Amino acid sequence: MNQISRRHLEISRRQLLRYSGVSAAAVAGSGLLAACGGDGDGGGGGGGGGPQRSGGILIHGATGGGSKDTLDPHAPVQAADIARCNNLYEPLLFWNNNYELEPALAESVEPSADAVTWTIKMRGGVTFHNGKTVTADDAWKSIQRVANPKAPLSAGGQLSQIIDFQSSKVVDETTLELVLNTPYAILDSLLAEYTLGIIPGGEFDPSNPVGTGAFAYKSFEAGKTSTFTRYADYWGDAAFVDELQIQDFADDSSKVNALQSGQIHTVDNLPYNLIDTIKGAGGGVLIAEGGQWVPFTMRVDQAPFNDVKVRQAMRLIVDRQQMIDQTLSGYGTLGNDMYAPLDVAYASDLPQREQDIDQAKSLLASAGAEGLQVELFTGDDIGSVAVPAANLFAEQAKAAGVDVKVTKKTPFYDDNYLSYTFAQDFWNTRNYIPQAVVGTFPPDQGGTYNETHWDNQEHRDLVNAAAQETDEAKRAELLHDAQEIEYNEGGLIIWGFRQQVDGYGANVQGLEPSKYLPLGNYKFQHVSVQ
Amino acid sequence: MTDVATALQDPLEEVAPPKGQHGAAAWAIWLARRLGLAVLTLWLVSVLTFMATAALGDPVRAILGRDYNSNPGRVAELEALLGTDQSLVSRYFDWLGGLLTGDLGVSLANSLPVGGQISSSVVNSAVLVALSAAVMIPLAFAVAMISTHYRRKRPDTVIQTILLAMAGLPEFVIGVLLIALFATTVSQVLPAVTLVPLGGSPWDEPKSMVLPTVTLVLWVAPYVSRIVRASLLEVIDSDYVELARLKGIPEKVVMRRHALLNAIVPGIQVIALQLAFLAGGVVVVETLFSYPGIGRQLVDSVRNHDVAMVQALSMIIAGVYVVVNLVADLLSILLTPRARTAISS
Repeated sequence: MNQISRRHLEISRRQLLRYSGVSAAAVAGSGLLAACGGDGDGGGGGGGGGPQRSGGILIHGATGGGSKDTLDPHAPVQAADIARCNNLYEPLLFWNNNYELEPALAESVEPSADAVTWTIKMRGGVTFHNGKTVTADDAWKSIQRVANPKAPLSAGGQLSQIIDFQSSKVVDETTLELVLNTPYAILDSLLAEYTLGIIPGGEFDPSNPVGTGAFAYKSFEAGKTSTFTRYADYWGDAAFVDELQIQDFADDSSKVNALQSGQIHTVDNLPYNLIDTIKGAGGGVLIAEGGQWVPFTMRVDQAPFNDVKVRQAMRLIVDRQQMIDQTLSGYGTLGNDMYAPLDVAYASDLPQREQDIDQAKSLLASAGAEGLQVELFTGDDIGSVAVPAANLFAEQAKAAGVDVKVTKKTPFYDDNYLSYTFAQDFWNTRNYIPQAVVGTFPPDQGGTYNETHWDNQEHRDLVNAAAQETDEAKRAELLHDAQEIEYNEGGLIIWGFRQQVDGYGANVQGLEPSKYLPLGNYKFQHVSVQ
Repeated sequence: MTDVATALQDPLEEVAPPKGQHGAAAWAIWLARRLGLAVLTLWLVSVLTFMATAALGDPVRAILGRDYNSNPGRVAELEALLGTDQSLVSRYFDWLGGLLTGDLGVSLANSLPVGGQISSSVVNSAVLVALSAAVMIPLAFAVAMISTHYRRKRPDTVIQTILLAMAGLPEFVIGVLLIALFATTVSQVLPAVTLVPLGGSPWDEPKSMVLPTVTLVLWVAPYVSRIVRASLLEVIDSDYVELARLKGIPEKVVMRRHALLNAIVPGIQVIALQLAFLAGGVVVVETLFSYPGIGRQLVDSVRNHDVAMVQALSMIIAGVYVVVNLVADLLSILLTPRARTAISS
């Protein structure tokens, strides 16, 4: 779509919003635009009453930042970095609010029938903040930087192993052909990660970072504050606010205090105990389904867990809803001992496991493990959920006559990590295939964090076959079988998934919950302040 | 917080009557001795700081956490940077040597020199502490004098009860209460945190300095006030004040010329101690108010396991303790005729 007609559409949309003031019209407006290939996110709808207004400064508060902060699009470390990167840079594809792939800087990403050769068509008329037009060459050089086999960056681990750097090539200005060493049917999902923003010539200049996002760089001071200005020539919906500020906070309560006093407009990762405070002060709370989990990990190659009956008994001991209520203040969804709940192939048809003490007791009896005693290792460095969950599990296990001794280790991630017989761990949202590879494959096949020492040829074959299957329905079928094996025999107890909770001020509009990243994927171009 | 009354050392006790030395020479010896002690203290602190940050546990493991096992390349890189392959003693002397020559090392978090990163924080914290002291000292003295004036009458009882209650509150409780009162829940007349634009200073928006300063003042003023009141009462009950009164000198003059001047010395000691506390207590207050000073930076560095940064900041805070106490001792001596003559006679 050319610039002029896009602008025209955008103006009409703004006018629509301004004069109608009905959120249904906003949805229709953005839908119209999305249909023309303009909007990547389909967002922009109102969060509060009244139409969204242009202008002003939006200030976002983040914790977790510090002197380590970076603007490197390919190596963000924590939430404040991700927020900055998501407004400055854009990858080839987007994960939308529903955790589905959408075109972004690429118009299309298509695999060959054998999933070895991938053709990427770049969107036309997209410019970097420095005015240069985005080409296939920029995309290829950015990918090369991320997936440098000698030193892959955040998103590049897997890419560096599967891309055939010799055979891949830039066909023309708008076409990139990626050739792989091995068939890989979900390459597009790797290209959609926020850690794969496209930059000019694949070169990152810390003193003048340039991307294609709705906001352009203005200033940055690690651990303190950074500012970005609206990029007028943005290819999608230009931002409502003139300027975006991202402010680092040392701790959560000062962040929430600042929100309450009106000094900032949005905060991500609102602690559960402060939700009512924000609501009481007239602010809004954004709750999104999430895919983060803190499992109990049982080593399947060691007694007592080498007996599948014992593993099943342990899984039946957990009162999952109580876990969610007590350790997540209720802000969670039920787990069913399977991960990747946001994956389209998630096996949601398998029966939900519930606490069944009688069944657990009889399983333990038939395994000859009555009066079982186990030591559960936990630690604060797993996350704030871990220790309370461990203690609660020990409490719940008493009913089945299992004596769980909780041992808190400081640090938990020491030499013994990955060798504990019974412990915990943490995981963020991922789709099934990449998660299964790192978490359940043997270490020499990519299983860097295989806590349960699970080693199942049948399961592995299914996952590998799925990774090469370009037909989505067939892939889901293979993954369903793989999940069923883990559901029946696996060593993970996955009791729930954490919901994402963010906060915003009463004068903020345009935020929509997203299953992927906090605050509607941090896409602040959709947000306006009164 | 330490009990001020017992922690206070009497500067007069330290002054042994010199034999055979006079004037300047005696002063020089006294000063040299005190400086030597200060240096010794700082050296001991440097040993402790180094041990605590570098020797307790493997810093590389602490930095990498879960990725330690899976990332041998980064492990080797960090080990080389931290020099963990060398002996502890040689690492200590390397570090101490750098410290003495003004080289504070390189931050692990961003590979930039530590010195450049902490200079603005040091200034910000110093301004906050100085401002708090400037408000706190006259306030504490005024309250003490009012209290003394109404000794054992109702106003005195009320003031002392309030001070005692406040002295029991930790600084973060005071801060949280003030934020609720003035910034969030009750009213929103003051900012809850300090937002500093790039290249700016916290005092560019003076309103944002109010709550951190008031928190620090309310945290330490009760102690100072109570000590000053106690010494004022002691002086007022002394024979020479009694004599002054009997001679018919007006009460105001007695208070100002005789009582207050003599009560100042213990006041200086307790103020010094509290200033030193402020330098440390600023950590909590800065975190609470998101104030860009050394406290907040220390919290950040500890979280990042940024060893060089933590060491430098710890040494700065320790240095403030030592220097403030040294200055207080010096002032006490100069203001106490008995001690002055004891040294130089």
